[in-house]
Amino acid sequence: MAQSSKEGHIAFLLTVGLAGWFVPGAGHLMIGEKKHAIIIFITIALTFAAGLYIGSIGVINPVGAKPWYIAQIMNSPAVAAIGRITATGDYPVYGRPGEIGQIYTSIAGLLNLLCIVNAVYWAHLQRTGAFGE
Amino acid sequence: MTTTAAFILATFTVPEHIGVTPLSMLWLLPLVAAISIVYKTTKLPKIRFVHFVKESVVLFGSIVIFMVITALVLCTVAWLITE
Repeated sequence: MAQSSKEGHIAFLLTVGLAGWFVPGAGHLMIGEKKHAIIIFITIALTFAAGLYIGSIGVINPVGAKPWYIAQIMNSPAVAAIGRITATGDYPVYGRPGEIGQIYTSIAGLLNLLCIVNAVYWAHLQRTGAFGE
Repeated sequence: MTTTAAFILATFTVPEHIGVTPLSMLWLLPLVAAISIVYKTTKLPKIRFVHFVKESVVLFGSIVIFMVITALVLCTVAWLITE
């Protein structure tokens, strides 16, 4: 009984983490933190969109800029779809717009990673009854 | 509607023109704002508008001031080395 409860707890934490990865803020929404979810979604989506606007979708480059791509994919699995389009090399971007676009999109991804970890931690605290202590 | 959507999508396929000028450093400000907001969102268990804005603004200011100080120190070191 205790084993299945523990497994259920881990499954819930995994679901919260995955939800937060699929849609920024969804992890917080799952644990009932609506305000947090809205702020996280708007801020991360705007930062990511600003990066794409400044540097074009070419800043997502799974072939020539793999370390940046790893940070960018933390935004959402949807980034992989953009990566498939840009992997052909049809959207080259150089210079300052490329740098700024890469920094914006990567920081947005890392911020989402922070939010995922935070949502999972809060979910754990809520389930164990230690939240708010 | 389709034309508008196509225009919006097209703006994401061509990079903007941003020169390598001192003014281009101002692009860090929106990023610092985003970092401050998200960080404070993860730190505050309950969000009350005024308190949240105040905390975010203080963090934003702290980051910007620290970056300015770092830039000044680096400029001074570069000046001392090259002079």
